[in-house]
Amino acid sequence: MTRIIVTLILAALTPLAHAIEANELLRQVDRNLQPESYEMYRKLVNIEPDGKRKEYVLYSVKKGGDRVLALFLDPPSEKGRSTLRLGDNMWLYIPNVGKPLRITSLQSVIGGVFNNADILRVDYAAEYDAESVEDTADAYVLKLKAKNNTVAYDRLVMQVDRKHKVPVTIEAYAASGLLIKTLHYSQMKDFGGGLVRPALLETDSPLYRDYKSVMIYASIKQRDLPDEVFSLNYMGRVDDLRGK
Amino acid sequence: MKHLVHLVRVLTLCVPPLVHAADDFTFDLSTYAAPGPFELNGYAEVKYEHQRLDRDSPLYRLNFADSDRDALDRSTAALELTGTYRSGDSRLSATWHGQQQHDELADTGSGRFYELYLAHQADATTTVEVGKRALKWGKGYAWNPVGFIERPKDPVDPELSREGFIIAGADFIHTSGGDLHTVAFTPVLLPVSDEVNDDFGAEGALNAAAKLYLLYRDVDVDLLWLSEGSRPGRVGLDFSANLAANLELHGEYAYIGAHEQTLLVAGSLVSRTIAAHSWLLGLRYLTERDTTWIAEYYHDDRGYTQDEMEDFLRQVDSASTAALPQLRSIGQAGYTRPNAMRNYLYLRIAQKEPFDILYFNPALTAISNLNDGSWSLTPELLYTGITDFELRLRATLLGGGRLSEFGAKPNDSRIELRLRYSF
Repeated sequence: MTRIIVTLILAALTPLAHAIEANELLRQVDRNLQPESYEMYRKLVNIEPDGKRKEYVLYSVKKGGDRVLALFLDPPSEKGRSTLRLGDNMWLYIPNVGKPLRITSLQSVIGGVFNNADILRVDYAAEYDAESVEDTADAYVLKLKAKNNTVAYDRLVMQVDRKHKVPVTIEAYAASGLLIKTLHYSQMKDFGGGLVRPALLETDSPLYRDYKSVMIYASIKQRDLPDEVFSLNYMGRVDDLRGK
Repeated sequence: MKHLVHLVRVLTLCVPPLVHAADDFTFDLSTYAAPGPFELNGYAEVKYEHQRLDRDSPLYRLNFADSDRDALDRSTAALELTGTYRSGDSRLSATWHGQQQHDELADTGSGRFYELYLAHQADATTTVEVGKRALKWGKGYAWNPVGFIERPKDPVDPELSREGFIIAGADFIHTSGGDLHTVAFTPVLLPVSDEVNDDFGAEGALNAAAKLYLLYRDVDVDLLWLSEGSRPGRVGLDFSANLAANLELHGEYAYIGAHEQTLLVAGSLVSRTIAAHSWLLGLRYLTERDTTWIAEYYHDDRGYTQDEMEDFLRQVDSASTAALPQLRSIGQAGYTRPNAMRNYLYLRIAQKEPFDILYFNPALTAISNLNDGSWSLTPELLYTGITDFELRLRATLLGGGRLSEFGAKPNDSRIELRLRYSF
């Protein structure tokens, strides 16, 4: 009888133990992808079905789990635009308009397969709970569930490289079960400061057939910035942070 | 319709491909990581307009003085340069706008600084600015009742840059971890004399204004104030919040304690002072198919009633040619300003790449005067298939009774083609 009770208790606790490990793995993935607070330069490339490309260069800063600010440096038609994310809130600043306007995570300020949530990505652990982790021969498979319905994707299935603890692929699903997009990480690179992570992120979507979007990470450096940088009043001055 | 869609798709394939032919995913950081102290960018554009004039309209008389012109063609070339020079924690910023306009009546040219100011950032919480600056307040898209210290914008083209005023101002930002996440205070001084800001209002005043911004939970709130001086004193409030992931609600309210309005009554100018309320409520909605809907309702007590506007237009109708210059001047001070009456509805629908036609983004803007039933309708087509170029084709149609705001305009319709190059 005692053995049965102990077995039942262990069976009940096992998922909980895996869930704890899964969330710990998710936190490791977040830290291996980027410092908690950083500045970053990257290029986004949208590839149209006819092969044409539109390229954007972004400078981004992040602090903590859910504050991100991004500035467009190229092309000239976008230069000076900035986007700010604070938790579930997002804003777009256009220099001619001269004041920030609220936007949604589902929009895309640049078009293509990446949406605003992808461009202003916060820590996965800030938006998702890790429900389970599967230990396979090639990778860990993390299954993530959005913490609330304002998150862009309801579920993620993340394949995590066993050695580097960084994502290899991420499948993003809607609440209906529809596959929205798949993200593919590749080209491991040493960014310095102990940060070794993929430098290339490609994404495709069954909803945007023949479209492809690519993110190329060129520089990620630890940088601590005051909280006031992540505010609407600072969106017109983000360029002042560069090169300092 | 199917044939048109197919034709447009074929035409887009004829456009020369963009810079890279192969899958070259590289990034040369050297250009960006160490920015120099000086940056310059901007745009150059050419625009052609054709207006179909309404010789029967009252405002045709006011603008074309009994001419027999049916149409007016106008071409405009513009150049806007934005430059920044940085040194330490200081920055000198400038935006210069120049344009040359030609039509069958006149050639005119202008060039002026829209902005020229020095900013010093003591730290991330404190910035001081002095110079000519375009400070834009409010959350509304087409109108801003709380735009206390800015020039009015064109509701049909609200994203155009506008000239600022000479100010001294500061920005103080404070953030915390609680429900009141951010507080920012922006005080501004705006002097008015015969040489400085003379078009802001009455001369000989040092005007003060301030904005207090709050991010409370997930709601943006601003409290705004302008002192009594060159303009009547006023207070205001605005807000913006997401009701859902794809639905945003915003609003503005302003109270002007003593607005002085000039009316033309039975051929004589009459002044009256009123306490005026002006407010706006709007929604922005994004659909799953990337259609953006923006709807706004705008009310302004300072606007003219339908009877008052009709009185003015009748007087224009019956005035002698000699009286027209004075009426033109009276009109420019109030009656003929954009959206000079009391209640308006604005609707804009923009669709991103319909039918998968790459780089084509059509939109439709409608403004309805709810007092007299007149309206304007502006369909447009934007093409951005060539890097750094933007081609926009836009038409404007006006409708309404002869003595209504849009019906009385000197033109019935207008078509415009604009090519802009950004650098």
